[in-house]
Amino acid sequence: MTRLNIENLNAGYGNKQILNDISLTVEQGEMIALLGPSGCGKTTLLNALCGFVPVSGGKIKVGNRDITTLPAENRNITMVFQSYALWPHMTVAQNVGYGLKVQKVAREEIEERVHELLSIVRLAGLANDKVTTLSGGQRQRVALARALAIRPDVLVLDEPLSNLDAKVRLNVRHEIKALQKQLGFTSLIVTHDQEEALVMADRIAVLNKGQIEQLGRPEEIYQSPKTPFVANFMGAENQIVWTPELESSILTGNSEALFVSRPTNLTANQQVFFRSENVTLITNTSRFDNDNSVLSLRGHVMQSAFFGNNYRISVQCGEHIIQADHTCDLPANTPVLLSVPAHALHVYDIETSFKSNAYATIQTSTSFQTI
Amino acid sequence: MHSNHQHQPEPSVMKKCKCFFDAFNSRMSFWSQCVFILIFALILFGPITNLLIWTVAETWYFPNALPSQWGMKYWYQVFNPYSDVSGSLLTSIFIAVLTVIVCLLVSVPAGYALSKHSMPFRVFWMLLFLIPQAFPNLTVYMNIARLFYDVGLNGTIVGVVIVHSVHGLMFSVWICVAAFASTDPMLERASRNLGAGPIYTFFHIVLPQAAPGIIASCIFVFLESLDEFTGTFFVGAPDITTLPLLLYTASMEGNYQIASITALILLVPSILFMLLINRFMKPEMLAKIGK
Ligand SMILES: Nc1ncnc2c1ncn2[C@@H]1O[C@H](COP(=O)(O)OP(=O)(O)OP(=O)(O)O)[C@@H](O)[C@H]1O
Ligand SMILES: [Mg+2]
Repeated sequence: MTRLNIENLNAGYGNKQILNDISLTVEQGEMIALLGPSGCGKTTLLNALCGFVPVSGGKIKVGNRDITTLPAENRNITMVFQSYALWPHMTVAQNVGYGLKVQKVAREEIEERVHELLSIVRLAGLANDKVTTLSGGQRQRVALARALAIRPDVLVLDEPLSNLDAKVRLNVRHEIKALQKQLGFTSLIVTHDQEEALVMADRIAVLNKGQIEQLGRPEEIYQSPKTPFVANFMGAENQIVWTPELESSILTGNSEALFVSRPTNLTANQQVFFRSENVTLITNTSRFDNDNSVLSLRGHVMQSAFFGNNYRISVQCGEHIIQADHTCDLPANTPVLLSVPAHALHVYDIETSFKSNAYATIQTSTSFQTI
Repeated sequence: MHSNHQHQPEPSVMKKCKCFFDAFNSRMSFWSQCVFILIFALILFGPITNLLIWTVAETWYFPNALPSQWGMKYWYQVFNPYSDVSGSLLTSIFIAVLTVIVCLLVSVPAGYALSKHSMPFRVFWMLLFLIPQAFPNLTVYMNIARLFYDVGLNGTIVGVVIVHSVHGLMFSVWICVAAFASTDPMLERASRNLGAGPIYTFFHIVLPQAAPGIIASCIFVFLESLDEFTGTFFVGAPDITTLPLLLYTASMEGNYQIASITALILLVPSILFMLLINRFMKPEMLAKIGK
């Protein structure tokens, strides 16, 4: 296992460019999650690493070895496929031992290694079963064992958990993470589930339209997303475009206004994102304090949905619909007052968010963070 | 069947009535099924019964409904090791096996290449194998015979095998394309990913996946070759005698017994084929033919 170095990678299908200038370093023993919406090029990136999609520019290095143009079989980067891609005409043991057989490893040695891997992924009893008789979770683990059998330099996993049901997914998620800690393999895992990425990865790379929007530790990505896209993708689904009209309505100090107060770091022509969990909902709308440290606004309940530990209330505030978490159910049309503390707001300039200039967005958000 | 969804309680008399009616109904349907199957069998097997009787008839003259003398004389004659029949049976099988090998050698690589949608002129190549079938058989074979005559292939096993292969390739290429197209390309990728080169991958992953279809195409080609008449007649006769040629000669000479027994022998592989095809053809593969 060694470090993986991707430098200014460009790749695509035919004339269609999918990956734009991707640069990413996965350190030895590190697990990076590639997080992004469907169609943003996650699978394409893994395929480019494995040699299934031609690279039109940039470099891929494993350790000091440049593998950019090597054929797929010489790269020593193994993949756990989204569809598992197990060979139905072979048993579990034959599937797992295939890579070693290709390398002409002695038969006893293969058997030993297969046995070792199967016990690691807790499938020891199933060595001679046909893979077609296994359950989804078991197939997943066979695919993992098969990819690890040849001790690859880098392991890449393409949405390894997306075909599993919720409960099995949690189990396998912990297993993969534990295994990664135990064996210390360098790995890239693709997911479109933010929770999965937060739990499993050492660092997260958020991908959008074939570009890395932000790379950082899970806490960083979650708490200080650098672009509106990342904020929105990481669960800040409430968005308010702070127009000059809203700004002026606040300044007049009208007690009937929709927006009651705003924190000082929010100015006109900015947009703000925040999570429903950071919204405090008060049913006593007469309380009115022009607090400069919170964003507060009036509205009335549209509907509420039960989420287990709380209710997600949709509140209509003028033309905006804001989601807020609340401990109890509220009937529709209840007037409410919402407030969000300044530290929970992610504020971005509108102009920069329309430009795809990454540096400008980073600058605005850093200026916000100092407040 | 009828009574399952009846939930309201019924008087017992009604119930009895109904039971009787049900029983009557099912008995009726049983008998009508029997009659149907019988009629079907007669239509299907009528000619074959006639053929079967001929195989055990030693003398049978025209107005009689049944032979006047029964016996196995002609069976002995046919299975005599020095008879024309066993000789031409061997020739037939020999030619069929060679034809299968030739078709395999062409259609496995061709089928694999053509199953990839990236292949240039894919449709053209696929249609190329259909072209010989587009013209009337007779003209094609007459021209082939003329051509073979010039190069000295007429009346040789090689010539007949070539003619049979041209005919068989139509089936085998198209079936092989379907067989390879129905394999999952991800399985191939997984193999390359674990360090296997393209050739190793082909033999260890792709071929086993496509094997049922390839076997089915072999069986097709084998049977087509056994049954082939026109091409063999023009290119092979009189030096090469296959079973269908023998059948033809025997019928022409009025030797119905030999003809019937030969036909019966030709029936055996067809029946075996029916059984095998059931085992080897995947329905999803049939759906891929021509894709
Ligand atoms: N074989 C292909 N030929 C042409 N375009 C392709 C091909 N495969 C993918 N694409 C295109 O590349 C883009 C990225 O696809 P990719 O499979 O990398 O998405 P993804 O991020 O893995 O999405 P998902 O989360 O849905 O798996 C998509 O717009 C898709 O249409
Ligand atoms: Mg994908």
